Amino acid sequence: MTTTSAIVSDRYSTSTSQVLISIAVLLACLIVLFFVVDTAVVQDWLGYARREEARVPTFFLRIVVLIGAIAAAFFAITGTSSYRRNRVSYAPWLFLAVGLAFFMVYVIIPIFQSFSYSFTRWDGLYDVNGIWTGEWVGFRNYGLLLNDPNFYTSLWNNLLWLVLFMLAVPIGLGIALFLNQTVTGIRIYKSLFFFPFVISQVVVGLIFAWAYNPEFGLLSEIWGWFYCETKVNIVGNLTKVCSVDPPSILGNEHLATYGIIAAGLWPQIAYCMILYLTGLNNVSPDQVEAGRLDGAKGWNMLWHVILPQLRPATFIAIVVTVIGALRSFDMIATMTQGGPFGSTNVLAYYMYDQAVGEGVGRYGYGSAIATVLFLIMLVYISYFLWRMYQDEKGAH
Amino acid sequence: MFKSLIRATAAFGTAALLSTSALAAGDLVITFDDLNPDKKAAFEAAVEAFKKANPDINVTANNGDREAHKNTIRNALQNDAPDVITWYPGNRMGPFVDAGLFADISDLWASDENLKGNFNAIKPTMSRDGKQWGVPYSYYQWGVYYRKDIYDKLSLKEPATWDELLANCDKMKEAGVTPFTIGTKFLWTAAGVFDYLNLRTNGYEVHNDLTAGKIKYSDPKIKATFANWKEMIERCSFVKNHATMSWQDAIAPFAKGDAAMYVMGNFSVGQYKDAGLKDEQIDFFPFPKIADVPRAEEAPADAFFIPAKAKNIENAKKFLSFIATAEIQGTWNKAIGQLPPNAAAEINKDDKFIVEGMETVSTAAGLAQFYDRDAPAAMAKAGMEGFQKFMLDTSTLDEVLANLDRVQAEVYK
Repeated sequence: MTTTSAIVSDRYSTSTSQVLISIAVLLACLIVLFFVVDTAVVQDWLGYARREEARVPTFFLRIVVLIGAIAAAFFAITGTSSYRRNRVSYAPWLFLAVGLAFFMVYVIIPIFQSFSYSFTRWDGLYDVNGIWTGEWVGFRNYGLLLNDPNFYTSLWNNLLWLVLFMLAVPIGLGIALFLNQTVTGIRIYKSLFFFPFVISQVVVGLIFAWAYNPEFGLLSEIWGWFYCETKVNIVGNLTKVCSVDPPSILGNEHLATYGIIAAGLWPQIAYCMILYLTGLNNVSPDQVEAGRLDGAKGWNMLWHVILPQLRPATFIAIVVTVIGALRSFDMIATMTQGGPFGSTNVLAYYMYDQAVGEGVGRYGYGSAIATVLFLIMLVYISYFLWRMYQDEKGAH
Repeated sequence: MFKSLIRATAAFGTAALLSTSALAAGDLVITFDDLNPDKKAAFEAAVEAFKKANPDINVTANNGDREAHKNTIRNALQNDAPDVITWYPGNRMGPFVDAGLFADISDLWASDENLKGNFNAIKPTMSRDGKQWGVPYSYYQWGVYYRKDIYDKLSLKEPATWDELLANCDKMKEAGVTPFTIGTKFLWTAAGVFDYLNLRTNGYEVHNDLTAGKIKYSDPKIKATFANWKEMIERCSFVKNHATMSWQDAIAPFAKGDAAMYVMGNFSVGQYKDAGLKDEQIDFFPFPKIADVPRAEEAPADAFFIPAKAKNIENAKKFLSFIATAEIQGTWNKAIGQLPPNAAAEINKDDKFIVEGMETVSTAAGLAQFYDRDAPAAMAKAGMEGFQKFMLDTSTLDEVLANLDRVQAEVYK
């Protein structure tokens, strides 16, 4: 009896020496990290001739000390009695801690930073003494946004993207239904249809930009068969003369956004298709059979038997498509850079353009745009989280 | 023990530990921003010459992509400053000067033999608040590059006035040639045309006042510039589809003979030749005269600056005064086919574009940097988008000007 209770109390009591040693190591690591290891010291210690050469070893030293500090903190916490008593509830948080810290530093804190920048006028510079050069302007940036025609163009384009990008869902479903059959070599066809999703968005953008090019693109070649003829120009070179000019899709402010969305749809359809293909694998054959017996065919079968079973796939397809539409950035950057004259901007690109791009340096204004985009996304994300929560509840 | 452990870790991390070298009389770290083969070679040659002249200085030269440099310079100036860095004069250096990130080198301009006397034409653009902040190593002229063989075939002459240019355009259009090529996808090419029309219609002062935010875009003077531009678009016309072409793409119709003229900077000559044109097929004339104003030219310069956080300011100044010498400026610019800002430097007499360019800029009443360097970046971006919009549809003029007035009111505050 006595031995058991001794073991129990020992198991849950604080191991003082472990905690003290680890805290000492932790403090030592932190002191080294913040006060000792800098480039000049490393240069001195290791005998580098110039500071630039000592930069990489400094970085590695800091990483090593940081890992030491984290390990020491880990040992210090696991040595305490309170941890030992509540191991099951503490352990997950301990493992999450590092990830959460990074999430805070790189996601949560920057969100609030950009909120605060959106109330300032700032060109992104700190002066030579490290002092911030901006000024507080309250809601002025938001006032400017309301008068900025480019902002409304971007907002409207975001809406166009959201609506038209949704086409990827039904088209993806159609292709998935079409490919969901057993024919020799169907795997090859499936992978061919999936191919556009594999290649990078930048490459898709370039391919479409070339295809649209009114001088040498695929579209203008086809157009040329009907409306153009080849003539000899003044210096004796062959040149194309058209009775009706081929459309300059990316050079026309009314067509350019549609052109980019069409390019964006190509990989997105492939993505939705693959989601539906996996969904179709899980469609229960019993229910299809039962439906058949009750005389369901064609549309009825699809609408009443198949689609309800594809609901999870549809939900995910809509989620990824909305997210894809809202972060449509790389296509615009590769195809038009927001042009002609800003008519293909979306909020994400306009924000980049005003804050970071080509040294325009309106960080306050860019942050205001980012905040608006964040609020729009927040509406959608809250709905998404709420839906997930409801589903989880339903599962129990 | 701890020290040796650190040593081992560092050696592991860097893979190779460089041998300890004796400390030299000083270091000099230079950051350059041009990876084009000829530009890179010319820079490296100048650095070698400097090393030879100053064997006791330990020089490190870094070189990077030009577009990337426009973003990385912010970090470089604020955190990890080199001793010498390239940047653009005019208003583009404004934000860094105002934030105190560039070192004031007025004393060097006052004491250095070369800077004192041979840089008068360019000195105003290197100045802000009455002080000088950098030393230019190169600049180049803008103007109209044209197909001489097409001009000869149509028996046209280089136009000296606006009416002559328009008359030439009429003849070209009759012969089925589009007078001007341009690619406005990246916007700045349109600003070149605007700048010239504005310099010729209103002169240098108005250009400076406009880019400094002192006059509005809806001002009658600027409207007159746009009226001339409209006339140019209607009677001369630019290639179709210019909104989808870069400046390099726009060389294709020029090389093919579909278009005959190009308002461009001298850096484009090499590209014409790469596209298959021979030296005798192309030629240059300064943008023709419109109103009776002194002739000013576009001549953007590239310069070296000293960051305020530089660790070896004395060595940096030595380097700047070294690249200001007539000898270095001459060899450097001969190698890259541009003009030396030092008036005493020799130029390449065999290059007709350089000879004509030197003639054009040295007799100019004023040198503009370029719309997107003279105006603050935020204004320039909106302005150039406006120019592109106007070029695509001249009827949008009032809308464009109203929008530019609005942006101007925000930016210059």
